[in-house]
Amino acid sequence: MMTEGMDIADFVVEYGTKKGADYIEARYVDSREEGYTTRNGALFGGGTIYSKGIGIRTLTNGGIGFCSTAKLDKDNIKKAVELAIKMAKASKRKEPIIFSEEDIVQTKWSNPVKQHFEDISEEEKMEFILNLDKTLKNQDFGENLVTRTLMLSMDLHKKYIRNSEGSIVESEKSLIHFYTFNTAKGDHGTEQRFYGQAGAKGWEWFKENKIEEKIIQDNHALVKTAINAKEMKLGEIDVIVSGEVAGIIAHENTGHPSEGDRILGREGAQAGESFYIDLLNKGKLGEIKLGTECVNLIDDPTLPGSAGFYLYDDECVKARPRYLIKNGMMNDVLLNREFAYKFDTKSNAASRAMGYNREPLIRMANTYFAPGEHQIEELFEDVKKGIYMKSFTEWNIDDRRFQSKYVGLEVYLVENGELTDKMVKRPILELTTFGLFGSVDAVTKDTEFPFGHCGKSDPGQGAPCWMGGAQVRMRNIRLGGK
Amino acid sequence: MSNNLTEKAIEVAQKSGATEVIARLTEGPNYQIRFSNSNIDIIKKWDNSMLEVFVAVGKKITQVDIQDPTQTKINEMVQQATSFAKKMPDSELYAKLESTKHTYKPIDGLYDKSIENFYDKAPELVNVAIQKSLDVGAKRVAGVLYFGKTNTEVKTNYGNSGSYDSSFYRLTIRSFVDYESSGQDIVVGRNMANVEKEFSIAGEEAGKLAKMAVGGKQGKAGKYDLILSPTVAANILGQITDGANPLMMLVGMSPLGDHMGEQIAPENFNVVDNPHISEGLGSRAFDIEGTPTSKTPIIKNGILVGLIHNTTSGIMMQTESTGNSDLVSFGSGSKFLAPTPTNMVYNAGDYSLDEIIEDSKKPTIYVTSNWYTRYTNMLEGEFSSIPRDGMFLIEDGEIKKPVRKLRITDNLLRMSRNISAVGKDQKQIFWWEVYTPTFISTIKVADCNITAATK
Repeated sequence: MMTEGMDIADFVVEYGTKKGADYIEARYVDSREEGYTTRNGALFGGGTIYSKGIGIRTLTNGGIGFCSTAKLDKDNIKKAVELAIKMAKASKRKEPIIFSEEDIVQTKWSNPVKQHFEDISEEEKMEFILNLDKTLKNQDFGENLVTRTLMLSMDLHKKYIRNSEGSIVESEKSLIHFYTFNTAKGDHGTEQRFYGQAGAKGWEWFKENKIEEKIIQDNHALVKTAINAKEMKLGEIDVIVSGEVAGIIAHENTGHPSEGDRILGREGAQAGESFYIDLLNKGKLGEIKLGTECVNLIDDPTLPGSAGFYLYDDECVKARPRYLIKNGMMNDVLLNREFAYKFDTKSNAASRAMGYNREPLIRMANTYFAPGEHQIEELFEDVKKGIYMKSFTEWNIDDRRFQSKYVGLEVYLVENGELTDKMVKRPILELTTFGLFGSVDAVTKDTEFPFGHCGKSDPGQGAPCWMGGAQVRMRNIRLGGK
Repeated sequence: MSNNLTEKAIEVAQKSGATEVIARLTEGPNYQIRFSNSNIDIIKKWDNSMLEVFVAVGKKITQVDIQDPTQTKINEMVQQATSFAKKMPDSELYAKLESTKHTYKPIDGLYDKSIENFYDKAPELVNVAIQKSLDVGAKRVAGVLYFGKTNTEVKTNYGNSGSYDSSFYRLTIRSFVDYESSGQDIVVGRNMANVEKEFSIAGEEAGKLAKMAVGGKQGKAGKYDLILSPTVAANILGQITDGANPLMMLVGMSPLGDHMGEQIAPENFNVVDNPHISEGLGSRAFDIEGTPTSKTPIIKNGILVGLIHNTTSGIMMQTESTGNSDLVSFGSGSKFLAPTPTNMVYNAGDYSLDEIIEDSKKPTIYVTSNWYTRYTNMLEGEFSSIPRDGMFLIEDGEIKKPVRKLRITDNLLRMSRNISAVGKDQKQIFWWEVYTPTFISTIKVADCNITAATK
């Protein structure tokens, strides 16, 4: 059935060009999203949602028009193309939108899959999620997990994108993701945790990536925290954060403010703007200090098997790693074609849309703290008093991405150079981006890559991303308070 | 409009072995205009046509979405869904559908036919609102306008059926004087008669607020009384009333679990889930099961008195459905039936905003907008949220100065118990941070915890 969609996309471009579009692109998407959700061992629901449709975007007379439809007959498509062009013209912008010039490509990409999830029976998938719940319940700590919500999702997205410049990109991506949202009860209350893992693979992802073990370990830690963690007044201390916590910091404090559309105001009424604009008005990329020399942050869509994996973006631009912070200096920002032109450069392929009926926007892919030189034990060694924050619960950040907050979940006290088994209840990092990155003095060699859906725009588009990397030590941090 | 597509879906499902079926068809174009830096960035049209089919085989359930439904697609996909349902284990979280046959009293005012021509003038109205904001001192204006029409048709295997047309618009406009001085306003409704004036006023209000925010400095952490604008109150207090839902309780996402019958707000405080308001974006005469909708008191005289229900949750909690059934996504893949709110209506109070400010003799902060509300623990209601746009320090009954870079770090039920004044400026809020249409006024809360970055 992709052939039918490809023909329609080709027709959109031909017809749009004939009707006077300066630029037109057609993105045909054939999606299959299968999911199962359980609560305490009972299936809430399960099934598969199929969708096929086309997103038509045109840049004409300096304005952008967008139409999406699942009605793929030519008469309806003609109307959609004509309307998209009419809407682009109706924008009547004072400052015309211009796209950066990019290479013309005609290519295909997909992620390697050993065992297609579509070939696994529905019964086996249901059994898998129900058994995993049973496994959690039957652990020594299982009785303390009073509420267990497990969500298994499997997406297959086939896309065909063609634009009026001659680029054609065909792709197929299989993504499996698993979330848990569980509540653990201790003697003095409860702790809750959202935990996510995902991989651009087939059904083999579960075994190859030891997902079941990771979920069991994570829930064990949740119960341990509910039982053992105690509030402590710690004053000014050193803070070591795991790859999970470093990853959310990388995503929120660097990834989002690096988005070119935010920097130049396009998300003003939605996800907000960026403090980078203050810095870029006074300095240039490569010359603006954001943190210490050991801070290196990368956003890389090309990581094999990653949640945010792609090789060409939704504007047919070849993907590459983006070195957002290099040795503490602002090095790169995330761009699509519209904002690459405004930054007087080329796109770095950050344009993604989360469905045929959504416009492509600048998005992160897999944002992470690049590895350093150390083993984790070395980070503990010269800490007199500190904490080791392995996971987090609540987090948020202001809409210029400067004032952030991360509340620790599984957190241990570090005393006189050694990690103790004393657990600290809900310590709060409430720090500015400079406060965070300016305090980093050591980074480990090892990495981890948890998963999350990144939220942006209106209507919201949840983009699958890895957010992780190395473990990081920050010096002289005063914890936030209530 | 449907060419009996809903009936066809029910017929196919029943022939395939389904014992209970719902078919809901929604059709109609929706539009969006996004703008920033005082220019329109993109104009969009979504050509919506969706048939949602819920299938039960005994207590085995599933659901399927069929986009651009045709007889052929219905045959194929509904049969597939019914076969799939048969493979499911019995659901412990499903009882049955509404089986009593009903007729429905239509809700007046859900549809304004002038929406059909609105597309032609919408870009111009957006530009007028932008200009109004610039006229009062804004330097840049951003925002989003949504509008459209939908025809909704619901049919169940028990013979319940109904349909209605609806129109809607919602505008969020955010104005900036400089990068950190901004103000926002929201207008939402269904009747298009006054939109031109409403959009202009919204632009003006956002611009004025942005101007008032100029020169704001880092605020000090500490205890303050807070004056929450309707936008902020809808987001923060709305987290509590959204929790008056058995689904949210079941998964540990509600702070209301064991508080039924308790005083959780002051004695004069009332909240009702009201599906019968003409302008309410959540209004409907019947729910997806065909149960007639009704007004459901949630908080009465400050006491938590009710939850919203569908047939299943009503049976589970030994009560009746309140007509709040809908299809809900939880994770990806299929949706399932669960209670969902319609319009949450907080009673208006007696005070103007000026009076609330004048009465604020203790250090007070007026918060006009917020975002990114997140929880440390949803059962406990431990949360924080970040003010954005104009925020003002009030001392001795007067606005003293704009402040910035603070965070509300508090507890939901503690805040609701500490409500000390309710304004008379009730308006409907529905935007990026508020997904339940909420009619709410300015609300003052005593002794709130405000934090700031430590480094």
